[in-house]
Amino acid sequence: MASLDYAYRRLVNTLGPERVARSEFERMVYSHDFASLPKIALLQWRLYPDFVALPQTTEEVSGVVKLSDESLLQITPRGGGTGWCGGSVPNRGGVLIDMRKMNHILGIDPDGRTVAVEAGVSWKEVEDFVEAKGFALPHVPLNAIGSTVGGAINSGSTGFGGLRGGSLRDAVANLDVVLPDGSLLKTASGADAGGALADLTPLFFGAEGTLGIVTKAVLRLIPKPELTRPLTYSFPELPAAGRFLKAIVDAGLTPYHAAAVDRDHFVFERALRSDTPEPVDLALVAVQGSKDEVADQEKALDALASKEGGAKLPPAVGDGLWRERHNNYGARRLSRGLMISYNLVPLRRLPEAVETAARIRDKLKLNGSVQAHLVDSTTAALNPYVLMDDTRPSGGTALGFVKRMGDAAFKMDGHPMGLGLFLVFNLRKMHGNATSAYSAVKGVLDPRKKINGGKTFEVWTKYPWPGLRAIPPPGMAIGLEVAAILRRAKPTRDRFVRAYEHSKEG
Amino acid sequence: MGLLKDWDYVEQAVRIPALAEVIREALIRALFVRDDRVLPASIIGDLNRLPPVTVKVKEDGEVRKLIRVLNGEESTVSLGLNAEDYHFFRTQLGVGRTREFGLTMRPRVLLTYDWIVPEQRGVQLDFTAYAGVEFAEDGHRAIAQVGALWKRLYDDALAAGHLVPFVPTVPLDFAIGDAVCGDAPFGSFRGGFASYVNALRTISPYGHRARIGFEEVANNGTAYDLLHASIPLASEFFVPVAVALRLEAKPGARKTLTYAFDDPAKVSIALDKVSRVGPGIQWVHLTDAVAAKTLRPGPAEAFAVQVSLGTTATGIAAKEKVVDAALAGFKAKTADAPNPFDAPAEAYRKTAEAVARALFVGEVRIPAKSFGDFAGKVRAFGDQSAAKAGIYGSLGSTGIVSAFPSFSAPKDRIKVYDLSKGVRAIVARIPGAAFTGRLTHLWEEEPNFLRRMALWREMKLQIDAAHVVQPLVAP
Ligand SMILES: Cc1cc2nc3c(=O)[nH]c(=O)nc-3n(C[C@H](O)[C@H](O)[C@H](O)COP(=O)(O)OP(=O)(O)OC[C@H]3O[C@@H](n4cnc5c(N)ncnc54)[C@H](O)[C@@H]3O)c2cc1C
Repeated sequence: MASLDYAYRRLVNTLGPERVARSEFERMVYSHDFASLPKIALLQWRLYPDFVALPQTTEEVSGVVKLSDESLLQITPRGGGTGWCGGSVPNRGGVLIDMRKMNHILGIDPDGRTVAVEAGVSWKEVEDFVEAKGFALPHVPLNAIGSTVGGAINSGSTGFGGLRGGSLRDAVANLDVVLPDGSLLKTASGADAGGALADLTPLFFGAEGTLGIVTKAVLRLIPKPELTRPLTYSFPELPAAGRFLKAIVDAGLTPYHAAAVDRDHFVFERALRSDTPEPVDLALVAVQGSKDEVADQEKALDALASKEGGAKLPPAVGDGLWRERHNNYGARRLSRGLMISYNLVPLRRLPEAVETAARIRDKLKLNGSVQAHLVDSTTAALNPYVLMDDTRPSGGTALGFVKRMGDAAFKMDGHPMGLGLFLVFNLRKMHGNATSAYSAVKGVLDPRKKINGGKTFEVWTKYPWPGLRAIPPPGMAIGLEVAAILRRAKPTRDRFVRAYEHSKEG
Repeated sequence: MGLLKDWDYVEQAVRIPALAEVIREALIRALFVRDDRVLPASIIGDLNRLPPVTVKVKEDGEVRKLIRVLNGEESTVSLGLNAEDYHFFRTQLGVGRTREFGLTMRPRVLLTYDWIVPEQRGVQLDFTAYAGVEFAEDGHRAIAQVGALWKRLYDDALAAGHLVPFVPTVPLDFAIGDAVCGDAPFGSFRGGFASYVNALRTISPYGHRARIGFEEVANNGTAYDLLHASIPLASEFFVPVAVALRLEAKPGARKTLTYAFDDPAKVSIALDKVSRVGPGIQWVHLTDAVAAKTLRPGPAEAFAVQVSLGTTATGIAAKEKVVDAALAGFKAKTADAPNPFDAPAEAYRKTAEAVARALFVGEVRIPAKSFGDFAGKVRAFGDQSAAKAGIYGSLGSTGIVSAFPSFSAPKDRIKVYDLSKGVRAIVARIPGAAFTGRLTHLWEEEPNFLRRMALWREMKLQIDAAHVVQPLVAP
């Protein structure tokens, strides 16, 4: 392996000194994503990259990737760093490629109804741009402000518009990808061939930066709807809101978004912002279309909600929640840390799923919120979050919640989402006998495991010694299970939890 | 029988010194039509050799066993054949000798044409008797075995309160499996067939049951989306035996509207406009006069656009108004023509038989605004080629028409080839259009396309390292 100083010089020659960082502080910033990882993780991984590279063009990305053939440094691609399982965090240092300087909107094709963008641009910027031109994106990740186009595609994100406009995968027409050998691949043909002509675009959906670095995307557009109206209904309990979401699909309605949020979320938010609505278990539904269509859907929704004991809340509540729809995790400021567990469950089991999530949270003596939204006509996303204090040694035990939630999702015929650094053990559970086919894909595209290596089929550690270089993925699962057990045995509650419970009682 | 197999065969053939002189396109033609003036007799012999054994599958366990036998892991005895079949099987496949043979799935109905390279000495799987359909008890999901007829799935789903959102653009009597191992053109206004697939139940090249995707839920966030990437080529990586499908709720109200147009420019503009109308449209199909005559009795206008609406009982009138406005310029409108897919199974099958008499060359994807132009050019080309042309099409919400030109001509390979070439030449002159027929995959030489095919080839060789599922063969 070439020396780090030599690797640095080569990177600087490629990008210029201002776009290569190696200070302790900068490296630290990139040593985690949205998930709060306990300090103990540093014993297992080298989470700090050696260098952070900020390319501005596809050619520069390719240059940096090719350099790793000389330096043998690992490459970790990163977008907004808002993922929750460490996909954009290095496991063995190396070069982290921050894509956010590639944030241009390259052009809109009104006839073809597409927009071409660089991968580091945020969804919100793209959404604002296309809306100004009379278009809309059929699918927008929930975290549109923080997440980049390349990051959401690589996370296989769910979001707004799934039920109405199809999955994010279907909303992407073509990608430019720098493959691990540094070459550029266009994943689909120039004309819209509908998946024919060897379209590889779907392969990168959910690939978590393990197959290549997306530098550009062509996204599909739909006409901007005349009207979007958010509606909110309170329910006596969250499972009733879950039944309401299912009833929406059974009635053949196609709102732009439909989510169930428990009252705990609003308790946390209230502690931070006085204009938060009264804590209740509620459903937020956004309908779109012409005035007539919106009115028709609203009437149908009112009837469905009342069947489940739902009461319509004043329009101001829906308007406020809709305005704040991209800011869901304010509670993090209460507790210093937060863990989100992201799962897909069959829609028909959603009422049971929200109950299960609350039960697991309570069993582990955690505080947090249970939330869910519609993904498509068979699927709901179940994404509870729990608070944790990662500055305390006991904080990390909250990670056990993610493990238990994933197990519960499998039991309900669903699955957890994301593999990243610490959920790799789920891969085999997800794909069973087909796992070897998945591993073949990585083997063909990245035979030297240069890009996000040791994150999909094996868990690399930072240690160079044989026997310790990698741990078997089930080992990680055991670790997290132990965390859950410790958490359950924890005799005292966290400081912020006590404060929270006080406010809950009040 | 497979795209990768054909592509790889052609790639290898162009490197054979004796054939290197022949330009690629001429070689593809020679292979396709089995031209003995260009190709050596040994190659013609290979191309004409059909799989010697056909197995009618009744259970997926039989496929597993067969794969293990072909892999040498189990003896032929375990297949439980009677003495005569056993002898036939062993002699035909040369079991016990050091030969490679593969498995191939036989589509129930092929819209276009057979692939170039048949399975050389392997086993053909016939799934017509593996045709069960199972609906989730409480949810809009079905698991259809690959031999299940699409029409049966559609009818049973409606009876159970679901809607199968995807319908065939050309209404042949397809089985569901024809979309993964054949060329059945299923789609809806909102997406292609793949958008409605949650998972494939497959048998891996090692004889294991392997599920690609998740039957009950979408597959977001579970590593690479191998499922949706591989659907067009799935039967070259695995043996798909059943498809887990995402259905929708049967809408509160459904209505089929038929609009007649006499002007190609007007129909093109109207199609572009209606493609911008949001949810509530199930499918939009279009036919020219030739296709319309095959599908429906009565006089046929130059173009007919059929729109299937499905929404709430209270919302359907408003939706119809929006569609009327978008399709302004139509000459006549009727709500009397029934939904062709709701016809009784027997009537549907009869229509399918009539449609299947025409020769199809594959799909052309074309921006709605250029549809009229394309239709005119295809008609003129048909007239020149003494093969009267018609068009079946389906409009998507992306503004792209998926069009299938049909020709009344004998289905011999030379005619298929020449008509395909003609369609390709027309498409090349229309901006934004693509001809996605199987022959295009062999003709195309754009470097990115070649790279993608090469990657698929590599992936196939890794996933099917046992060379069991339609193994690649050299000329
Ligand atoms: C408020 C909030 C709401 C969220 N809601 C959702 C939700 O509804 N659904 C959901 O699925 N997730 C959600 N998430 C998780 C996360 O935000 C999404 O997965 C997000 O889309 C990730 O985008 P990012 O740009 O931050 O990617 P990062 O976190 O930077 O990276 C994610 C993965 O993609 C890879 N990657 C990033 N950019 C590229 C690139 N250009 N090329 C190749 N690989 C790349 C990384 O290596 C990593 O493995 C949410 C997160 C937050 C904070």
